[in-house]
Amino acid sequence: MKQILLITDGGSNVGESPVIAAAQAYAEGITVNVAGVIDDGTIGEYGSVEIAEIARAGGGISQIVTSRQLSRTVQMMTRQTVAGSIRQAVNQELRQLFGVDNVGSLPPPKRAEVVKVMEDMEETISLSVALLIDASASMKPKLHAVEEAIRDLTLSLQARTGKSQVSVFHFPGDSQHDYCVMDAGWTSNAAKIGSLFGRIRMRGTTPTGPALMQVVDFIGETCGKISKTELAEAPLQATRGDPNEVRSDYVV
Amino acid sequence: MRGKWNGKLYRLERLLGLGSNGQVYLATSGHRTTFAVKIGHEAAELQGEANILASLDHSQKNRPPFLLDVDDAIVNGTNVPFYVMRYVPGIPVKAYLRQNGSHWLGVVGYRLLERLTLLHEAGWVFGDIKSDNVLIGEYGRVELVDFGGASAIGRSVRQFTEIYDRGYWSAGSRTADPAYDHFAVALLWLHALDGKRLIQLTKTLLPQNRHPRELMRLVQSNPLLKPLEVWMEKALAGKFETTREASGEWRSLVRISQAPKSPSDRIPGWMAGMLGAAIVLSVTVAAVWLLQ
Repeated sequence: MKQILLITDGGSNVGESPVIAAAQAYAEGITVNVAGVIDDGTIGEYGSVEIAEIARAGGGISQIVTSRQLSRTVQMMTRQTVAGSIRQAVNQELRQLFGVDNVGSLPPPKRAEVVKVMEDMEETISLSVALLIDASASMKPKLHAVEEAIRDLTLSLQARTGKSQVSVFHFPGDSQHDYCVMDAGWTSNAAKIGSLFGRIRMRGTTPTGPALMQVVDFIGETCGKISKTELAEAPLQATRGDPNEVRSDYVV
Repeated sequence: MRGKWNGKLYRLERLLGLGSNGQVYLATSGHRTTFAVKIGHEAAELQGEANILASLDHSQKNRPPFLLDVDDAIVNGTNVPFYVMRYVPGIPVKAYLRQNGSHWLGVVGYRLLERLTLLHEAGWVFGDIKSDNVLIGEYGRVELVDFGGASAIGRSVRQFTEIYDRGYWSAGSRTADPAYDHFAVALLWLHALDGKRLIQLTKTLLPQNRHPRELMRLVQSNPLLKPLEVWMEKALAGKFETTREASGEWRSLVRISQAPKSPSDRIPGWMAGMLGAAIVLSVTVAAVWLLQ
């Protein structure tokens, strides 16, 4: 199961629409969740509408929170998305096999059995979460909270029985041509994600859409594999792959 | 509300509480028996909780079952999943200690650990221990509610509250093991007896400085918790092998702390006075007898 979690504090202003990028991600079997972080109530209507739209297009959930609530929110969204995707897949199987709408339409004793299997899957399915962090100038005071949320998420994922890994990206990149930079490749070890954002130069633009697309490419290329380099120095040189290569892997 | 599969009729009397994924109502059925009915939004999620309750009932056959019915009802045209439990009257532990005094801590703490022993021995970890989920009835009787956060031992903890969480305090993983609950119980007592300072600590401490030793500082400077320091330290460090051990140690520490402080406390004044009077009297009688 593959997820992208976008953490941002406002609207995009460069490149293609992040809503379209999220829709593309979802088409490739990647769910996109969005956490909007505000501390002083300045997200604006444009920003908040876009955040909700990105999540909707990406088949995920969005929430606007203060940086204090960020750890909890990131945690909860990841877990809910896993549960939601499994529910969806199970319901689809039930429709095809037995012609019932969903788990809720089964009589309680049968439902109990199906739910047991679903919970097993939630715990054991392999899960990859790519975190994409908006590091535009206005996010600077919130980066400590972001780092804490990443640490917290990794801790929870480590406790799962199934294989879990995270990777971390931030945008905009250091030069005009990189939309996003990889801070940490796939890893399942919280200790490996140390201080991530020390060397980030904050810039003004917010190329959410292009950055999102670059992460989709990365997941497409590394899907299922753990990259050897835990911390890449060079910005990610992504080539756009054939979108048909990647398929949803939560077939039951 | 009538269940559509099992056909039982329930009358919802009043709202008992709001959970993260549904509401709990006090309900009656037929001849004045009271139940707690949990109504949810998501059938699968609710069924998950019912499964845990069913498995606990299954592993503890010596007590009356907790889960009584699982069903759906049609309310205003929509399907509403629900399950029915035994009704446990009680108030959250924090409020109980405030109302009845902190000298109830010994009994309540012991009862809680005994309750957890049963749960852990059945292979489950409660996970989301907090004041609202630990209800105290008459004379310090403890019942756990909201099993939505319970996890099988060895799995990941499904639900927790940040300040009670071992991971939040950099004191270990979020894998469900009995020690996870011991840690949360220690935090429960800190929160119940020294809440203001604990909340203050979570607000001022930088994430990288969160550590059990900060919590131990609160314990050592709190007159109510100081006598339990050894227990708190072990619980926060995950040093108890089993919950039975944790419970036994709690009991003996509480006994020591209840014991009189100095020898003069041990004998009430009137008793000492009577003894003195008796000695004086017998000496006098002896003297009189000897002189005669």
